Amino acid sequence: MLEVKGLVAGYAGSEVLHGIDLEVNEGEGVIVLGPNGHGKSTLLRAVTGLLSPRAGQVLLDGKDITRWRPDAIAAAGLVHIPQGDLLFPEMTVTENLLMGAYHGPTWSERSARLGRVYELFPWLKERGGQLARTLSGGERRMLALGRGLMSKAKLLLIDEPSLGLAPLTTQQIYASIHKVKESGLSLLIADENANHVAGLADRVYLLETGSLVRQGPADELLRDKALLESYLG
Amino acid sequence: MSTQFVQAVWGGILFGSVYGLMALGLTLVWGAVRLLNLAHGAIFVVGSYVAFFVVSKLNLPILVALPIGVLAAAAFAYLMHLIFIRPVIGKPGFDNSTLIATVGISIAVSAAAILIFNPEYKVIPPIISGNFTLSDVQITKQGLLVIGTSLALFALVYLFLTYTRRGMAIRAVSQQQEAASLMAIPVVRTYGMVIAISGALAGLAGVLLSPFFFLNPNSGFNPMIQALIVTIFGGLGSVRGALVAGFVLGIFESFVEVYYGVAWAQPGVFLLIILMLIVRPNGLFGIGEVRRL
Ligand SMILES: Nc1ncnc2c1ncn2[C@@H]1O[C@H](COP(=O)(O)OP(=O)(O)O)[C@@H](O)[C@H]1O
Ligand SMILES: [Mg+2]
Repeated sequence: MLEVKGLVAGYAGSEVLHGIDLEVNEGEGVIVLGPNGHGKSTLLRAVTGLLSPRAGQVLLDGKDITRWRPDAIAAAGLVHIPQGDLLFPEMTVTENLLMGAYHGPTWSERSARLGRVYELFPWLKERGGQLARTLSGGERRMLALGRGLMSKAKLLLIDEPSLGLAPLTTQQIYASIHKVKESGLSLLIADENANHVAGLADRVYLLETGSLVRQGPADELLRDKALLESYLG
Repeated sequence: MSTQFVQAVWGGILFGSVYGLMALGLTLVWGAVRLLNLAHGAIFVVGSYVAFFVVSKLNLPILVALPIGVLAAAAFAYLMHLIFIRPVIGKPGFDNSTLIATVGISIAVSAAAILIFNPEYKVIPPIISGNFTLSDVQITKQGLLVIGTSLALFALVYLFLTYTRRGMAIRAVSQQQEAASLMAIPVVRTYGMVIAISGALAGLAGVLLSPFFFLNPNSGFNPMIQALIVTIFGGLGSVRGALVAGFVLGIFESFVEVYYGVAWAQPGVFLLIILMLIVRPNGLFGIGEVRRL
């Protein structure tokens, strides 16, 4: 479904990704594991158009979307839940969720979608009228996930789902991502902790200083403790 | 009630709604696009001259000229967006280049108005003529129309921003642009829409106010300066702030004018603003450095 070929990207003066080849198939859970600062966020941002790639291709269902604007890529079904949540601070919880369904065809189904997100995070319903900027870190993460789920995504890209969260909240977040996975949605998750993603992953890529150095089935790679230790420390 | 008091209240409410109407467009554009649109007064002038042309050259009624003037102002603003704003969005020189472009547009519009028409003052007929007196104060029906229109537009803009899909998208873009684009909201097109709406508001103000202030190539300048002051007073980017500040400043100015004379009105307003900005540096409703829609 998603194919990334020879992707090169970076920031003024520094190349961060040096030719990434990666794919995600229908219904698959793919994890990009890599330590802090090795280019996970840069990869997701280059795929969803927030960062313009210098070379390489991004294909969605065979269609080249490499230089599309982020809103067009989102409309096409690649929905990115960014690092740091990036909520709309002066909007209520419900309004934030509704914006997730902005895309035309999805907007008409917003009520049904709200219902599904409330099932996953009942808490969001209770706090519907609260402004996003008043939420705690864990609450924000749930809202960011819920907002992404309001869309009609083909593939959800989640950047470090547990960044900055307490262990208990971390567990809750991964448990809900599990349910999302079971509903059949394809996932591409960037993470730096192999333990978190064990049950979610079908395939794993290891990212080191901007290059994918290993890839393989999750049950193989994630069991290789010695390998993981050498990469993730 | 004394005549003076009624005069001050009436003038204050009228000034207040005029200031608010102009400030509403400015604050919307600032809140969503982060553009200080110094061509707002020029857009006001475009709307009034187009309406003047329709009335005096095409001999059509003012009720026909009004929507044409409003649409022309919106189209002019949108064109400005396409040519001068859109190409520099997201570029490092955005603030400087748009500031220069909008000042340049103002100069060009007033020069064009002199060339096409002439520098003389023009009269646009009111939508409703006639007046009545209240405690010896003349209340014009057009004045009542301006007040009603201004309040109705504030309500409309508020409802639009709060409850509609596109209005909410404007707030989303203004609060967290990157996330908005990840929600499939077309950011640049949203900017264009806000600028066109703001242009329509300026054009409407131009057509409605010209019966009071007459029309000349620079007649948008004072309303824009007043609107800038109101916008800063109310908090840049705040719709509620523009409404409240418009009335506070309008009523304050009117009372100073009636009780102390016209010469004190402007200095009085500036004094009030300086005092307010010392107490609340971000304006009445400004929170922190950025107040977003
Ligand atoms: N906006 C930016 N400008 C310049 N360099 C950046 C920017 N964002 C990230 N980087 C650099 O790119 C590299 C990869 O960062 P990032 O993709 O955020 O890694 P990760 O998500 O794996 O922690 C780091 O060296 C980081 O300093
Ligand atoms: Mg990161």
